[in-house]
Amino acid sequence: MNNRIKFIIGSVVIILAVIVLAVQGMQEDTSMSYSKTVSELKLLGDRARAMNLKISGDLKKGSIVRNNMDLDFVITEGNSELQIHYIGSDPIPDTFNNEMDAEVVVSGKLVDGGVFNAERIQAKCASKYEADYSSN
Amino acid sequence: MADLGNVLLYSLFPLSIYTTLVALAAGITKRQGLLVAARRGAYSVFAVTTLSVLSLVYLLVTSDFSIEYVASNTNQSLPLFYKIVALWAGHNGSLLLWTWIITIFVGIVAYQNRHKNNDLMPYVIFVMAGTTVFFSVLNVFISNPFDTLYQDLGNTLQEFAVQDGRGLNPLLQHPAMIIHPPVLFIGYVGTVVPFAFAIAALITGKLGAGWIHTTRRWALTTWGFLAAGIVLGGKWAYVELGWGGYWAWDPVENASLLPWLTATAYLHSVMIQERKGMLKVWNMALVIATYLLAVFGTFLTRSGIVSSVHAFANSGLGPAFAVFLTTATLFSVGLLLYRRKDLKPDEEMQSLVSRESGFLFNNLLFLLATIAVLWGTLFPVISELFTGDQITVGPPWFNNIMIPIGLALLLLTGVGPLLAWRHTSTETLKRSFGWPILGSFIFVLVLLGFGVNDGWAIGSFAISFFVTWTIVVEFIKGAGVRRKNSGENFFKALYMLSRKNTRRYGGYIIHLAIVLMFMGFTGNAFNSETRAEVGEGDTFTLDSYSFKTLAINSAETENYSSQSLELEMSKKGKVVDTLHPERRYYFASEQPSTEVDIYSTMREDIYIVLSGASNDGEKVIVQVYRNPFVKFVWIGAWLLVFGTLFAMVPNLRESKAGGQA
Repeated sequence: MNNRIKFIIGSVVIILAVIVLAVQGMQEDTSMSYSKTVSELKLLGDRARAMNLKISGDLKKGSIVRNNMDLDFVITEGNSELQIHYIGSDPIPDTFNNEMDAEVVVSGKLVDGGVFNAERIQAKCASKYEADYSSN
Repeated sequence: MADLGNVLLYSLFPLSIYTTLVALAAGITKRQGLLVAARRGAYSVFAVTTLSVLSLVYLLVTSDFSIEYVASNTNQSLPLFYKIVALWAGHNGSLLLWTWIITIFVGIVAYQNRHKNNDLMPYVIFVMAGTTVFFSVLNVFISNPFDTLYQDLGNTLQEFAVQDGRGLNPLLQHPAMIIHPPVLFIGYVGTVVPFAFAIAALITGKLGAGWIHTTRRWALTTWGFLAAGIVLGGKWAYVELGWGGYWAWDPVENASLLPWLTATAYLHSVMIQERKGMLKVWNMALVIATYLLAVFGTFLTRSGIVSSVHAFANSGLGPAFAVFLTTATLFSVGLLLYRRKDLKPDEEMQSLVSRESGFLFNNLLFLLATIAVLWGTLFPVISELFTGDQITVGPPWFNNIMIPIGLALLLLTGVGPLLAWRHTSTETLKRSFGWPILGSFIFVLVLLGFGVNDGWAIGSFAISFFVTWTIVVEFIKGAGVRRKNSGENFFKALYMLSRKNTRRYGGYIIHLAIVLMFMGFTGNAFNSETRAEVGEGDTFTLDSYSFKTLAINSAETENYSSQSLELEMSKKGKVVDTLHPERRYYFASEQPSTEVDIYSTMREDIYIVLSGASNDGEKVIVQVYRNPFVKFVWIGAWLLVFGTLFAMVPNLRESKAGGQA
């Protein structure tokens, strides 16, 4: 067989393998998440239940309630509000508090009662500083 | 001083335009006088930018808080050293650093080639000065570091100064972060030099090996700096961000990896062109892609197009970058298509089992890796375009593709260098690979015996073992032959052998470095972690380690207040060390920062984070990670830098006549 053809066959096999890996990875539930704002989330309706979500909004001042390891707060955007319940394993520092002016991104899932279970919280302060409070 | 700096910065804009146009004129008319003028333009571009940078440093050091950049990134009590490096702590300043590095390179290239490459140089200066024009537009008109603070007084704006600045982001107050940006930027910006020569070669039609030889050291230096910059970024994330890892496939990390991938492909495939005259178009394409990806990486980091933990906020640079990237892409791809007929290969490939095809598969894999990383990074943008939903792909997706590609490349690292050019016979294959393959199988059995059961990890270790074996054999065999012929002792023979072909043996050293780094990456398969809420005297365990809280301390300095933990660590009942994880709160910037403490051995890192106080304030929460083999990554990186430097040392020539050589 001609060398050029052998090489092309080899290449095609490699390319197909990588494409398979890429497509397969896209089907994995854990590696994909949808980025939405609070109001966009409301528009999604029930469709949102099945998705991994990253929701961004502003922290509603005074809404943070800490109770032992539990942490609840509200993020807003325009007239829409979303109740967040933190279920992640990484501790959230006390600098995440009711005095701060922050844009928050929470990753997790929407559950019953319109509450959002966040596994991860990221806050972007009004200044340039950004903090990632939890890994993965 | 601010006005002076600003005037100098403003003058960069017309000066770089002038230099670009004169260089172009020199190229078209082929008049020596114009080339001299262009060269002087290049020097002056360098001079004004340097002075402008010095003015900004002066403003930072003297804490002139009427300047927005100074006020946002420093404060009075910041140590002098950090005031200086605040030059690249913020968006505007680091962009000026970018521009400065280009102008340094323009100056160096113009000077290095003042007596040679007269046909290429006009266009080289044209491309480099043209890139400078673009960055000067960004620096002068969009992100000017000399902007003053304004206060709105009804209908007029008035300049004012604040009492004290906001201070340097505490996350940046770390040695790795201080050298990471300049090192990475040198890597990014360095890609412009091979690109400029490639474009000059395309324009002039002088497509021989000239441009490749002239830029060989530049390409290698750039590559080494990119690699070092990427690892430094990882090191910084590891010790400073406190999540226990060093790489998360974040868009900004990916942005730095992309040009490195194509640059690595180029360093390999260029050898085929030098040796066989093949792949000319492909090499041009790789050089062009590397440059475009470097600019694209800067765009990604600064435009806010993809959200990332450590990206600069949306800075208004997006449209300018989009225009520049589109222009540069159309221009270079157009040129390449126009010249494609002149870039015919001198030879055809002869066999699938040959060095050439080894390089081709290497390039294919690097190309696929580049496309995969680019796809994953841009997926939020792509998905929004086609489905309206912005979808982010996470680390599992990247790992799923990149681990197999990485291991395939690692395998080629061992196989490729042993394949002969043109064709390798079955006999040679058996001789070269028989023992290493057998050895690797035995090694796998040993791993299984020790209870290692992660398939990818076993594969990675086995391939690492195989590659190390083949490289060590290359060194030993070569030195042995030399010893026989010259009568030198073994180590002298080893040294002389390497010095006589620094590129080849430097390459092997880099391959060994990559093996070490892969061992480090593979350690991730065996990570473990725990978290505990502890008061003084409390204990907890992680695997074979146990921890005891000796004390919880509080302290306050001029810059920050802190809480720290004295944690005694024992292994199998024996006290190993006392560790001091800490968390700080910086007053000026109102930012918290965790100072992790790491107990690091070759075998594993014990990584301890003090992540917060419990709600009653009596106890603290500690997070402990056990990360095997992380140290291999850093050691590998040092070896990689050494190998890169080694490959740049000129080959030793032995004089046959004897005497003083």
